[in-house]
Amino acid sequence: MLRIECPCCGLRDHDEFRYGGDASVTRPAHDDPDPQAWYAYVYIRANPAGLHREFWQHVTGCRQWLVVERDTRNHAIASVELARKLAPRKSLARKSPA
Amino acid sequence: MNSNHKRLSIGGRIDREQPVEFTFDGRSLIGYRGDTLASALLANGVTLVGRSFKYHRPRGIFSAGPEEPNALVTLATAGRRQPNLPATTLELEDGLVAESQNRWPSLAFDVQSINGLLAPFLSAGFYYKTFMGPTRRAWMFYEHFIRKAAGLGRAGSGHDPDRYDISHAFADVAIWGGGPAGLSAACAAATAGARVALIEQDFLLGGQLLAEQSDSAAAAWLRQAEAELESSETVTLMKRTTAFGIYDGNVIGLVEQRDPSNPQLAGEARQTFTMLRARSIVLATGAIERPMVFSNNDRPGVMLASAARSYLNRFAVLPGKKIIVATSNDGAWRAAFDLADAGAEVIVADVRAAPSTALAAEAGRLGVVVRAATRIVDLNGGHAVRRATLNGPDGQPEAACDLVCVSGGWSPTVHLTSHLGVKPQYRDDIGGFVPGAFPADRFGAGSMMGTYSTAGAIEDGHRAGIAAAWFCGKSMPVPAPSKLDLGETATALLREAPSIGRGKAFVDFQMDVTTGDIELAHREGYESVEHLKRYTTLGMGTDQGKTSNFAALASMAALRNATIPETGATTFRPPYTPVAIGALAGCAIGHHFKPIRRTPMHDWHMANGAEMIEVGLWMRPFFYRQSGRDSNEAYIAEMRSVRQAAGLMDISTLGKIDVQGPDAAIFLDRIYANGFAKLPVGRARYGVMLRDDGIVFDDGTTTRLAENRFFMTTSTAKAADVLSRLEFLLDTAWPDLRVAVTSVSDEWAAMSVAGPKSRAILSAAFPVLDVSDAAFAHMGLLESEWQGRALRILRLSYSGERAYEIYVGATAGEQLWSRLLEAGRPFDLKPYGVEALGALRVEKGHVAGPEIDGRTTLDDLGLGRMAGKRTGFVGDVLRRRPAFQAPDRQRLVGLECIEEGKRLRGGAILFLPGEKPYGHGRGRVTSVTFSPERGHYVGLALLAGDVASEGSEVVAVYPMKAETVRARIASPVFLDPQGERLHG
Amino acid sequence: MASPDFSLSVADCPLIQIEGWDGTLGQFEKSLSALLGTKLPDSVGETVRQKGLLVIRVAPRRLWLALDDGLEAPSLAVDPDLGCSVSLGEGRERFRMAGAHIAPVLSKCITVDWRAPAAAPGRAVLTSLHHVPVLFLRTGDAACELIVPRSFSRSLSDWIADAAG
Repeated sequence: MLRIECPCCGLRDHDEFRYGGDASVTRPAHDDPDPQAWYAYVYIRANPAGLHREFWQHVTGCRQWLVVERDTRNHAIASVELARKLAPRKSLARKSPA
Repeated sequence: MNSNHKRLSIGGRIDREQPVEFTFDGRSLIGYRGDTLASALLANGVTLVGRSFKYHRPRGIFSAGPEEPNALVTLATAGRRQPNLPATTLELEDGLVAESQNRWPSLAFDVQSINGLLAPFLSAGFYYKTFMGPTRRAWMFYEHFIRKAAGLGRAGSGHDPDRYDISHAFADVAIWGGGPAGLSAACAAATAGARVALIEQDFLLGGQLLAEQSDSAAAAWLRQAEAELESSETVTLMKRTTAFGIYDGNVIGLVEQRDPSNPQLAGEARQTFTMLRARSIVLATGAIERPMVFSNNDRPGVMLASAARSYLNRFAVLPGKKIIVATSNDGAWRAAFDLADAGAEVIVADVRAAPSTALAAEAGRLGVVVRAATRIVDLNGGHAVRRATLNGPDGQPEAACDLVCVSGGWSPTVHLTSHLGVKPQYRDDIGGFVPGAFPADRFGAGSMMGTYSTAGAIEDGHRAGIAAAWFCGKSMPVPAPSKLDLGETATALLREAPSIGRGKAFVDFQMDVTTGDIELAHREGYESVEHLKRYTTLGMGTDQGKTSNFAALASMAALRNATIPETGATTFRPPYTPVAIGALAGCAIGHHFKPIRRTPMHDWHMANGAEMIEVGLWMRPFFYRQSGRDSNEAYIAEMRSVRQAAGLMDISTLGKIDVQGPDAAIFLDRIYANGFAKLPVGRARYGVMLRDDGIVFDDGTTTRLAENRFFMTTSTAKAADVLSRLEFLLDTAWPDLRVAVTSVSDEWAAMSVAGPKSRAILSAAFPVLDVSDAAFAHMGLLESEWQGRALRILRLSYSGERAYEIYVGATAGEQLWSRLLEAGRPFDLKPYGVEALGALRVEKGHVAGPEIDGRTTLDDLGLGRMAGKRTGFVGDVLRRRPAFQAPDRQRLVGLECIEEGKRLRGGAILFLPGEKPYGHGRGRVTSVTFSPERGHYVGLALLAGDVASEGSEVVAVYPMKAETVRARIASPVFLDPQGERLHG
Repeated sequence: MASPDFSLSVADCPLIQIEGWDGTLGQFEKSLSALLGTKLPDSVGETVRQKGLLVIRVAPRRLWLALDDGLEAPSLAVDPDLGCSVSLGEGRERFRMAGAHIAPVLSKCITVDWRAPAAAPGRAVLTSLHHVPVLFLRTGDAACELIVPRSFSRSLSDWIADAAG
């Protein structure tokens, strides 16, 4: 069983988490009209034998989405971070929040 | 013969004050507390305990541990049946009932031992060659007989009356093996400050030390170590516990047997499956002695030398009086000396030319006859050995015997280290495989690492214990371990070639694989060890080839003229020893198989005639028994009652999500295909969400409670997925949106009142509320309080009738449900179940799970207008890809059954009239119902767009029931296309 | 069920969730702290007790306020520019457990290390029981609580009772 070190909750069993797919692909902006960009985001995967960045949600814990770096060859986990910390900050055409 | 006639009067680790009664093949026998089934059988002079897998050859007890290939029994007491258990690991308990296996009619007289005569036909590859290819049909005929003849014990078919538990445990350092290395590691790690779990499969700690005499220095060392560990608060001793596998994250799978000697545990789980999470692991799993290969080496009375010593010193059983010890190393001499000392006549046949003078001197002192450069070539005796043929400098003398002890050296138990990919490496100096390089959090010690002396194992364990504790950040000073030197001499191992006489020489006793089979495999090109294993079934028994693996490798290496490392080793996989399925299931059986979700009105449904159905984890009313004689009659009656008067439905299972924040409206605009930003406060809207790839994800209704607050409902099935997806988008894509999403599914009891009388019922139930159409229009919201709990009423319809969804705090759910039924009684309000709910929506042409099946788009479902020309929402771009616009893409249609007395079925495949009903057809029926409105079956279907013209016919084929029925394509809305009933 | 070795009782669980927005969290917590009259727990799993109110941090920007039996919920006017609140008390139940056997019983239910500092008295752990999300609250040396979703409550209390029986 994989055990994932949740930055909020500590080392927990993988059945407390939900897998969320490849975190190395870049999601186009919500209003990006380019089909190629969406096609690449939805379908194109590198599938590496080695370190893989992937999303996991601590779904029965703090419910935070995490970015986990896992070695696909031996399941060794190199790093875990809150996805929110790594996410691009701007999707809204808005002045900085009050 | 008198009972226990092979038992010595003193010594051993058995309690002669506590006799234990047990039964073997119907014979009542006596053993003592501290016995295993095997030791008790030997004490009673039982030497024949089983028949072999393929040839039904008589077999005896071969080992004294989990490596046992022969002495497998079935435990069969009142209602229980557990097959294939090694008698050597079964702790003797009162009332134990064991049966031998694979014999008929009896163990001593087995008619199928004739298979032995058919042996030339049953060699490796027999099944493949005989029954594959042109003669495959013959297999159909013979399979039954072959399966009956070959095999092991049979499982029971009744319900298992025992209880099993699953538990979770934690430790800094897990130590696997309670021999000298493991004990020393545990003492060191605990002293260093670590929390230690020491795992030992036996019911006593000590490992090989238990085979030393009970008044020896070894026994004193063991007592001291045990006392130290028992008194330590940070050490958990897990005896009777088998570690069957190591998994990712240093999780170790353990199965613990209940202690049969403790009557207080009688009601507890027979076995407990524990998942132990450790930060570091010390493997001190020991080594397994190897057999020797010669003709008829499987006869009852042939036993590993270390096992004979263990039976003598631990169990006070002298298993033979005239003993031949056949060996290739020094270790077995210690067994010879102890057996001679206990009064047996002993001959040592050592394959080496010149055993050491020290050993020879001791042999002389004890009257042990030594034959150097001598090996056994054949054995005589059916149910017990009688005579051995030797081969040495003196020609081929014969020697009478009743026990043959063998030792072909030792194999470190590397099975467990292999589980996570540590490859075994061959060490020439010890002639065996040891584990390769460990990862940083795992350590090895003792004979598993090739350290065969007790003194060395203790040193090794001490070092490993300190290192494993240090890995966990525990580094308190640890004094040197107390020493124990048993004076074992280093044993240079001779690469011993098998010596074959006239009979079969077995390599794998359990799978009946002989040297002949290995030669055959080699001749036919199956040279790689992995091919050898699969071709001959070597090592594929319940013992996983613990005693056979090395001899087979050595044979193949010799045949290929290669070294052992060149020949390679197979990969060991979990489980190390067989695990009962019951233990893996634990208590997650019966009503605990999965957790059950109950709505706040569950008890009312149960008390009022509801037939319940599982929907995901939820229990929901399927129909109410008072509505009709069977489900068909009931759902049609419940539908009629909704269409003509009113019905009440428990919809608490809908997913409910609270969406709040300054950017909530923008957020909803992005996740729904239709717009929500302009939804006025106090209004609800049906919405559809897409996936990124443009396929429909889920649908539901979202209501604007306030400028910054929305109340979303999802389908019952997708509730968790939707919430997770919303959180995903907020955390990873749009973290600048100030929005909070929270599941409030459990917070609200929800019920729907539907039907032409629903407004009157509402008005009767809530006299203070204005529910007139002027105040409360379709898609409107009414917020209030009821009995001190929040109340939300939405005017929404799923059935096509005027309807209201009523949400109230969950704790008041059942109370409000009863209140509504009471208020509705004058209006003929009746509860209805999910079957009627589904039927009503089909009649109205609403899509649900069978249509939103992860393959359909908005356009497929006829909902394309909802998105219109909007952009910037999830799935917007890919939903417009050309493939989704193909003219033959399947889209939603209605079907009406046009054959009198016939019905449509969900899942039926659609063909054009006259088309051969073959393959995937033009589409499929997704949902059906009998329509009281139309008087016949109607259904929803997904049908290729290029043939889906309304009014034309299709044929619905249902091969499962060999049914074919004609149907007419229609609009999916079978009822009230203008939507007038919503206001009726 | 009740015995000196293990007891389990089930009660309602008044509960309010409060969440602050990313970017203005400091300001939000300052005002909330003033409103409640106590400092807030710093990290996920920490709790602070204040006059019948237990404040638990369940996520970096999310707090649960669990009320003792019979206590009226404090009226919390959260500035919508800083955060929001939602009541969760109708949808949860509280299991109270105590007794000498509590640790072995719990080991058959949840994957929480009873002896770890993260599970010491006063700490909270979000975890799962039979795949259902639950909040574990360590209330004493041989006592703890679980806050569970109401729809699963009976299934989970049956599970615990069977584990203890």
